[in-house]
Amino acid sequence: MVVEAAVAVEGLVRRYGEVEALAGIDLRVPGGALFALLGPNGAGKTTLFSILTTLRRPTSGRARVLGLDVVRERSALRRRIGVVFQEPALEQKLTVRDNLLLMAWLYGVGGRIARRRVEQVLDRLDLTAVAGRPAAKLSGGQKRRVELARALIPQPEVLFLDEATLGLDVDARRSFWVHIRQLAASGTTVFFTTHYMEEAEVAQRIAMIDRGRVVADGSPTALKARIGGGVIWLNTADDAGACDWLLARGLPAERAQHGVLLVDPAPAERLPGLLTELPFKVLRAEVHEPGLEDVFVKLTGRGLDNDAATGSESGVQVGWRP
Amino acid sequence: MKGSLAVVALDLKRLWQDRVRLISSLVQPLLYLFVLGSGLGANSTLGGPDYLRFIYPGVIGLTLLFTSVFSAILIVFDRQFGFLKAVLVAPLSRVGIAAAKVASGALQALVPALLLLLFAPLIGVHAGALGWLELIAAMTGAAVTFSALGVAVAARFNSTVVFPVIANAVLLPMFFVSGAMFPLTGTPRWLQRLAYFDPVAYAVDLMRGALLGQRYFPVWLSVIVLTAFVLGLGWAAARVFAAGEDA
Ligand SMILES: Nc1ncnc2c1ncn2[C@@H]1O[C@H](COP(=O)(O)OP(=O)(O)OP(=O)(O)O)[C@@H](O)[C@H]1O
Ligand SMILES: [Mg+2]
Repeated sequence: MVVEAAVAVEGLVRRYGEVEALAGIDLRVPGGALFALLGPNGAGKTTLFSILTTLRRPTSGRARVLGLDVVRERSALRRRIGVVFQEPALEQKLTVRDNLLLMAWLYGVGGRIARRRVEQVLDRLDLTAVAGRPAAKLSGGQKRRVELARALIPQPEVLFLDEATLGLDVDARRSFWVHIRQLAASGTTVFFTTHYMEEAEVAQRIAMIDRGRVVADGSPTALKARIGGGVIWLNTADDAGACDWLLARGLPAERAQHGVLLVDPAPAERLPGLLTELPFKVLRAEVHEPGLEDVFVKLTGRGLDNDAATGSESGVQVGWRP
Repeated sequence: MKGSLAVVALDLKRLWQDRVRLISSLVQPLLYLFVLGSGLGANSTLGGPDYLRFIYPGVIGLTLLFTSVFSAILIVFDRQFGFLKAVLVAPLSRVGIAAAKVASGALQALVPALLLLLFAPLIGVHAGALGWLELIAAMTGAAVTFSALGVAVAARFNSTVVFPVIANAVLLPMFFVSGAMFPLTGTPRWLQRLAYFDPVAYAVDLMRGALLGQRYFPVWLSVIVLTAFVLGLGWAAARVFAAGEDA
């Protein structure tokens, strides 16, 4: 038996006039997976998300969710998915509970069943205490949890989230992800977009997207294994010169926005030699295990964020000043 | 169906929470009626009291027109930041969404318009029970037409700043041409011709006919024109909702 993927995308192209937001996306998300679409601003995440959630049409190519075509079978599909948008989609003046009740009605569920379902979801997301408050009077983290609750009211088989934790502090983000992980553990397929690589790390599978193309696809471990060994990050007085110098010596250096990246099987042994030989003033040198950001930089030559530092989760910083 | 009712319920709840807006939407029509009406009436060939009675249905039309079209501005806002996105991913038919939005706009407009009926004794309008019923039916038809206009236009806009500007630019001429403030008979030919293209003219005419028995258009024509407007505009709105974020 062929198991239908939860999400299957083939040759998906989407243009906005001249702008090609998606330039031919191919993607398969297995059912029950926690899946991350990771990419920098403007990569095309929201565009793909909107097509998969039936809010936009592709220019060409096909996409199926739960085996249903997102264009031709969109009405049937809408019953079976839940959606958390990048922007708030709550009625600010209504209470949390009323927002959720309204949502149940929208899906044709009313009366006692609706009320019971609302209370269940409130309880599951630790929102019972704020259920009587207007949505406008919640903290950022609570608001996002209510958005999640709203998306869960229809009891979706696939949950789509677009940068769901944007603007939340670390604590709020962590508590949000606890809930998402529980959901995934209970069998719901979760498809989320993010440009935080720590967030993508929780996924079983990640697709990295850049300028409308998937540049890499696989489990976090498999993606990081592409780099192998470890990573050396260098900031020098002349990064371009340093990169050329390394390349001239046959080392696989990459020039990124905020420094030079060098993948090496044994970075800790390599670094001291480099520091003495490199004919440029070194401002900063760092060795760490490869992170997703390193993979992204390696594949695209650019970082996920302009302001983010390197993507190490177990970074060994070698503070070094000449 | 249940889904559409949910959309209407939400809008009515918001109207209730926004009672100040409701009351303030009565200010403009009362100014037209008692200030402009008294001033113009004193110099009208109809004579003061008759002129007030004449414009009374026109002022009800004004209230319905502006309140229903401006209540549609919430759609523009909701598309960006509000519940509309959640509605668009829900399994409601797009026609159902458009119908719900039209109905809720019409209901929101009918509330202040019905409040205006309380001023009827002051103006000396006396219609029989049947006349009042006919008036309320005509008001409902007018409210649905104007609301459909608002929804069809608002569904296309992304800017809450541009929408009121456009709305005013379209609504005021429609109101002036409609013959709400003066009898169309006896106006220049071009104005009379223009009125044939103005749904407000038919709506006001139906209401005036119900109250005063004076009509410019045959009833059947008004009913057909207004129905055609509602269906056409409602369909256009449903199309826009079907386009989702691509609208
Ligand atoms: N409505 C639109 N009209 C024209 N161009 C658009 C529109 N929406 C997005 N784009 C363009 O398409 C590209 C992809 O945008 P998209 O919003 O999908 O990216 P994203 O990955 O979600 O970015 P972010 O992380 O900033 O949310 C960008 O170049 C963007 O400018
Ligand atoms: Mg986005």
